[in-house]
Formats: sequence, C-alpha cells, structure tokens
Amino acid sequence: MITVVKPGMQMSIQDQGRTGSRHLGIGQSGCIDPYAQIICNRLVGNPDNCPVLEITLGLAEIKFDNDYYIALHGTDMKATVNGNPIQPGWSYYIKKGDVLKLNAARHGFRSYLAIGGIWQLPTPILGSYSTDLTAKFGGLHGNALNPGDSIDITPQYKTKIGLGAMLPPKSTHIRVYEGPHNKLLSKQSLDKFTNHSWHISPSSNRMGARLSSDECKLEHALSLPSMAVMPGSIQLPPSGEPIVLLNDAQTTGGYPLLGTVIEADLRHFAQLKPGDFLHFEFVSLNEAIKAQQKLTSHLNQLKIALEYKNKQ
Amino acid sequence: MTTYSSPSITVLTTHCIYFDVSHSEQTILETQKKVWALAQLCQQSGDFIDVVPANNNLTLYLNDPLRLQYWLSALNEHWLEVSLLKFNSTHHKLPTRYGGVHGPDIKHVAHYHNLSVDDVVQLHSSGTYHVLFLGFQPGFAYLSGLDKKLYTPRRSDPRTSVPKGSVAIGGEQTGIYPETSPGGWQIIGHTDFKLFDINAPSPCAFAPGDTIEFTIKEVLS
Repeated sequence: MITVVKPGMQMSIQDQGRTGSRHLGIGQSGCIDPYAQIICNRLVGNPDNCPVLEITLGLAEIKFDNDYYIALHGTDMKATVNGNPIQPGWSYYIKKGDVLKLNAARHGFRSYLAIGGIWQLPTPILGSYSTDLTAKFGGLHGNALNPGDSIDITPQYKTKIGLGAMLPPKSTHIRVYEGPHNKLLSKQSLDKFTNHSWHISPSSNRMGARLSSDECKLEHALSLPSMAVMPGSIQLPPSGEPIVLLNDAQTTGGYPLLGTVIEADLRHFAQLKPGDFLHFEFVSLNEAIKAQQKLTSHLNQLKIALEYKNKQ
Repeated sequence: MTTYSSPSITVLTTHCIYFDVSHSEQTILETQKKVWALAQLCQQSGDFIDVVPANNNLTLYLNDPLRLQYWLSALNEHWLEVSLLKFNSTHHKLPTRYGGVHGPDIKHVAHYHNLSVDDVVQLHSSGTYHVLFLGFQPGFAYLSGLDKKLYTPRRSDPRTSVPKGSVAIGGEQTGIYPETSPGGWQIIGHTDFKLFDINAPSPCAFAPGDTIEFTIKEVLS
C-alpha cells in the first residue's frame, strides 16, 4: 500500500485514457504525457498501460508501506527519499516506511510516478483507470487524490533496478495541422496565430490550455454547428484567445478550430505551466506522421535496450 | 428522390477525418438521419476507435492512420449509398413530473408564451424528440423536436446547481441533465429515468438517433 501524505497542487491516477465512447459524450482523460508514463512504467517492470500518479507542480509527499520499485519521469521536482536525492528517469528500490518528497517544479509542470506491481483499484470504467476530473469518475473515487488516500498496490519485482531512460526532449515550439475552418477565419488571423508567441493563462487545467497574448487577439463573430473535438483541437472562442483542448476536454464544441496540435507534440503541454510562452507552426501531414514515427522508434529502442539489460 | 449536397471532407490530423454536411439543403433532422446511418456503417467497418456524430457532421478516429487515404476516397460513395432503412434505434419513454418543486421555471415559460402550465405540459409531452448527438457532458443529449411555441431564452442568471434528471428548455432545445451540474436552462420538470450510470456496462441510456417521448407522471402546481 502507498499513502498520499500531501497531494500538492493536483495528484491523480491516470493511464492512457478511454476510447470508444466519445459519441456518448465521454472524453479521453489519461496522462497528458503518455510517453513519460510508458517509460517510467517500463523502468519498474510494469505493462505500458499500468496506471501512474500524475503530479502537478510538486510539493507532494507519499509514504510507502511496502518495498517497491519506483521511477519518476517528466519534470525534475528535486525528489528525495528519506532526504536522499533521486533523479527522474531512473528506477529505485524503495523500502517499507520510506517517504518520497517532491519539491516544486522549476522548469516544467508535471511529473509521473510509476510503482512496480498490481494496482488494486475499483473496476476500470470503460476499460480505463484514468480519473476524469471534469466528469468526476474513474481513479480511486472520481477525484484528484486527497491527503490520507491510500492505494493498494501488490508489489512485483520483475525487472533489473537502477536503470535509466531518457524522455524525448521537451519543446515550446508546437506543430499544428491546419483546421477545417481555415477558409472561414481570415488569413490575417491565421498569420497572427503563428507570428506571435502566446502564454499559458492561469485558468488552464487538464481540460484545456488557455492561451493569451499581450500583442494580439483573434476576435471573431463566427457561430458554427457543433462538431467533435479532441485533445489537441485548438478552439477559438469569440474573445480571440485560443484554447488547446487537453485530455479531460468535452467531446463536442461549437467554436471554430484554428487547427489540431500534431499527436507527437501534445505531450509538451504536460510541462507548460501558467506564464510559459509557446509558439505555433503549421506543418504538413507528412511531418506529423514523421514526428510520430520518431517517438514510436524511441519507445521501440528503449524496449530492446531494456530487454538486453535484463538478460545480462 | 431526395438530393443531398456533396459533403465537405477534411483531414483533422494523421488519424482523424471530419465529414461535414451542415451546408445541406435538407432540414437538420433529415440530414442527421443520414449522418447516423453513415456513422453506423463506419462503426461496423471496425476501422475506427471512435465515430462521433455532431450537428450535421461526423468525426472519424482511425485505428490505423494507414487507412486514411482509403476512407478519404470511400466516404463520398458511402454517403450516396447509405440506406436510412438499415439504421436501428431505440425509443425511450421518460415518465416526467412537471411543475412544482420539480419544475421551478414552468410558470415563467408559460407566462413568457401566454400559455397555461397545462398547455406547456401538453405541448412538451406530445412531441417525439430525436437524439441528434451527445456531448457537453457525459450522456447529455442534444434533442431536436421542441415545439416552436415553447422556444424560451435561457435564464439570465444561471443556477450553480441543477439536479440530475431535470427536464429543461434552453432556447430552441429541450434536454435532460444527466448529472447534477451548473446550468442556465429553464427547468420545467424532472424524470427518474436513469440517463447515465458510469458503473453500468453501457453507461448511457441514449445513443445518437434514438427517439424520446416525455410521458406525464404528475403535474404539480
């Protein structure tokens, strides 16, 4: 068992989210950076889609009531175990009674904690353990974790420990594929969208990253029939401040779309915190496919390397 | 024979296609019936993770991005050939308590249209409504079929909490709140019909294309 002593700003149970029910209004949820989740799960010998804890900003504390293999990934929160520093991207052996402390993230926003073993959670909802923080279901009790919440995890020690694996580099340069409303929005608006930098506004959350800019706004008066939206859809409300939808977003919306963040770049939103600057570039479908292939081959190489190390 | 304008088909991303017929000359409901039939055909193909109809459009999420080109070229033909007759849907009867504590805004709706509360109940419960699509929150159905005589603007002061099961009117639409949530629609009644249960194997009672009827369980003053 593990116990949340301090959840920090937000700590929730996430896997890769749920699919197949978008037509019923049920969104995806899941880790905003699924690559961090997969890599730290592999480092502790878990299956790729095993749940992890998504920790936002840090200032969190977790107590372990058993011996476990653990790995953190995502941003560096200057973590310590019983006061001794541990590094993100490496696996560690934690003893019963140990306390993991996370300080505040300085250069990113989210960290992922994998714990080796079988997570004894309530029955998965529509095939996923992810917490949908907007609709309030999944995870332990449909909410972010509170102080005192315990998760029953049966430990397993199935891999070599003390191994490290890099995460593909983060970026504030976000690649976008053109949206279906480019002919309705003025060319000037689309140019402004890519020529200016934007910052993440404080009202952002797992539903969406709200953007603002001191230099420009893209106001419009378009009203469109509702269409499906997904993580990565860039909505443009009449206020002219775009919203990049993230994992807990609703499934339909009526605002025009500026475009869709390419799948390979969506993970960067895990590390963008309020106040951070980012900018956008329209790219071809071919570039989107290549970027995705690059991430897939990174994971494939890691798999081969870990299998090799475990045989040694 | 009914003619349909040709759809606009765009790529949203490597594994996602947007099929739009919202510019069609047919009514929203006539066009939507074909959208449901096309959605069903796509669902049955096994090529998609998700098939999401919305307001006279359809978004398709592919399992395998390599099937993108095939579907881009095949969709038009499927749209022309898809048959409305093969579409299966379910009819739901929702016993509803109108007025009183269950419908705090029904008097306002009646007053707004110079009708009696009974007229509002009769007009609302005599209609057959189609589930155009779901969205906004899990299990929330966008319904078509509200009698024009009941079109009522939303409340200027939205409620912070509308009880689960509330039957309400917002502008040109009527709807049911699947969960307790904030809301600005005029609440005219309440149904105990379970719209949404996240722990059930199929959590949502309605699917796009289903029809709904509100039956009068009680009218309170």
